Amino acid sequence: MTGYFSDVWRLRHFWLALVRIDLRKRYRRSVLGMGWSLLQPIAMMIVLCAVFGQIFDVSVREYAPLLLSGLTFWAFIMAVVLQGCQCFFMGESYIRQHPAPLAIYPLRTTLAAGFHFLVGFAITLAFVWALNGFGNLPALLSLAPTFLLLFLVGWSLSVCMGLANVLFQDSQHLIEVFMQVMFYLTPIMYKPEMLTTRLQRHHLAWLMDLNPFAVFLEMIRKPLLEGQLASTSVMYHGALFAILAVLTAGLALKRFEKQMIFYL
Amino acid sequence: MSLIQLDDVGLRFNVRRFGRISFKEYMLQGLFRRSKKTTFEVQALEGINLTVHEGERLGIIGHNGAGKSTLLKLLAGIYPPTVGRRRVAGQISALFEISLGFEHDASGWENIMYRGYLQGETPQSIRAKMQPIADFSELGDFLNMPVRYYSAGMLVRLAFSIATAIDPEILIIDEVLSAGDLAFQAKARERMKSLMSRARAVIVVSHDLASLSMLCERAIWLDHGRIRMTGPTADVIAAYTNQVNQGAHRQAA
Repeated sequence: MTGYFSDVWRLRHFWLALVRIDLRKRYRRSVLGMGWSLLQPIAMMIVLCAVFGQIFDVSVREYAPLLLSGLTFWAFIMAVVLQGCQCFFMGESYIRQHPAPLAIYPLRTTLAAGFHFLVGFAITLAFVWALNGFGNLPALLSLAPTFLLLFLVGWSLSVCMGLANVLFQDSQHLIEVFMQVMFYLTPIMYKPEMLTTRLQRHHLAWLMDLNPFAVFLEMIRKPLLEGQLASTSVMYHGALFAILAVLTAGLALKRFEKQMIFYL
Repeated sequence: MSLIQLDDVGLRFNVRRFGRISFKEYMLQGLFRRSKKTTFEVQALEGINLTVHEGERLGIIGHNGAGKSTLLKLLAGIYPPTVGRRRVAGQISALFEISLGFEHDASGWENIMYRGYLQGETPQSIRAKMQPIADFSELGDFLNMPVRYYSAGMLVRLAFSIATAIDPEILIIDEVLSAGDLAFQAKARERMKSLMSRARAVIVVSHDLASLSMLCERAIWLDHGRIRMTGPTADVIAAYTNQVNQGAHRQAA
C-alpha cells in the first residue's frame, strides 16, 4: 500500500507534466486563452440567471453566486466522471510500455479538473465579495478540508469510471444518463430548500441525504455563500462518502489493476 | 547471482471475439445462458522456467506468434503471469513499442522531457540529457514543432533517442534496431551496443540470427509458448534453422 503510493509519488514529474499539457491544451486553443475559461461560466451564469431567476423569482444578488458555485462544482464532477471514463485509454500507450501504478492516470484527470474547479471557485468568490461584501474568513478556511475530501472523491470516481469503461465499453453511455438524473436531483440550479420541499411532498427527502453530490455542494456553499460553517452532521456525511469512495476505488484497483492491460 | 527468475510461469489470454464486451452483452449473457461465448482463451506461455544471471546476454528466437514479445512483456512486468512466479532483482528498462506514447500537441522538446520523467528522470537529471538526446536524434529545429507534424521516421528517431538515453540495469529489447534511415540505423546499432555493454543483464528478441549470435552467449527457442530448447546461442540457432529448413522441405515436397 505504502509502496504503491511511493511509486505514484516517484512518478510525480510524469503525471504533473501530463496535467500541464492538459491544462495548456484547454487554455491555449482559444484566442482569449485563460480568459475564455473565466468568461464561459460567467456567460453561462448570466443566461441562466436571466431565465431561472425569473422562473424561481429570486434576486440576482442571491441567485448569481448560488448558480456559479453550483455550476463550478458540477463541472468538476462531470469532468472526473466523463474524462475519468477515458483516462486509461488516454494513457494506453504509456501503460503498454511502462509498468507504472495505474492510479496516476485518473490522478491526471482529477488534477486538471481540480485546477478548473479552483479557477471557477475564485470567480465565484469574487462575485460573492462584489455582490454581498466580504464574508466570514474562518468559515472560508473550513473549505480546505472540504476540498481535500472532494479531491479524494474525484480521484476515486475517476478510478472507478476508468475501470468500468475499460471493462465494459458502453459504461460511459449508462453513466451519462445516470449523471443527467443526478444533475436534477442535486440542487445545482435551485436552492436546496426548493428541492427538499418538492421531494418531501413525495416522501423522497432521503434522496437528498443519500446524494453525495448534494452533501458536498452544501459543504461548499454554506461557508461560501452564507459565511457559516456547514453543520457537523453534513461534514460527517461528506467524510463518510469520501471514505466509501476511496475504499471502493482502492478495492476495484486491487482487483482489476493487473488485468487492465488485457482489456485495453 | 540471478537477476531474473521465472518459476513455471504460464500466461493465458482471454481474447474477445468481437472487440470489447459491452455491459449490455454481459447482462444478456447472464440472463440467457445459452447465448454464445464472446471470449476464447489463448495459452500464450506455458511452463516457462528461466533464470537470467548477472552479466548474461540472453537471446530469444522463435516463429511469429511463438510468444517472444509476450515473454518480454511478462519479464518487464507489464503482463502479470497467470500461474507461476516472477522474481526480479533490479531495475528493468524495456525497449518496445517505443514509437508509441507521444503527446501529439506538445513539441519534441517537451516530449523528451516527460518521456524522460516516465523513465524515472527528475527535472534536474533530464536537463543534462536533453541536449544529447536532441543531438542524437538529429532533428534540430523540428524539435520546436508539435510532434503531430513529424513523419513516421522522425518519430522513430526521437523515440529511439529518448528510450536509449538511460543507464539500464536489466535491459529488455524487442527488435528496435530497424530504426530510421541507413545512417541512423548504423548509429542506432552503435548506441545499442554501448547500452548492452553497460547493462548488468540483457534480454533480446530478434529475427536477425546473425547479430544475435554475436550479441548473446545463451539463447532460448520459444515454440507455441513453451521453451523448446535452451543453450549456447550457436547450438540453439542451428537447431532452429534446421527445423525451419525441414519445414520448408516438407512444404516443397
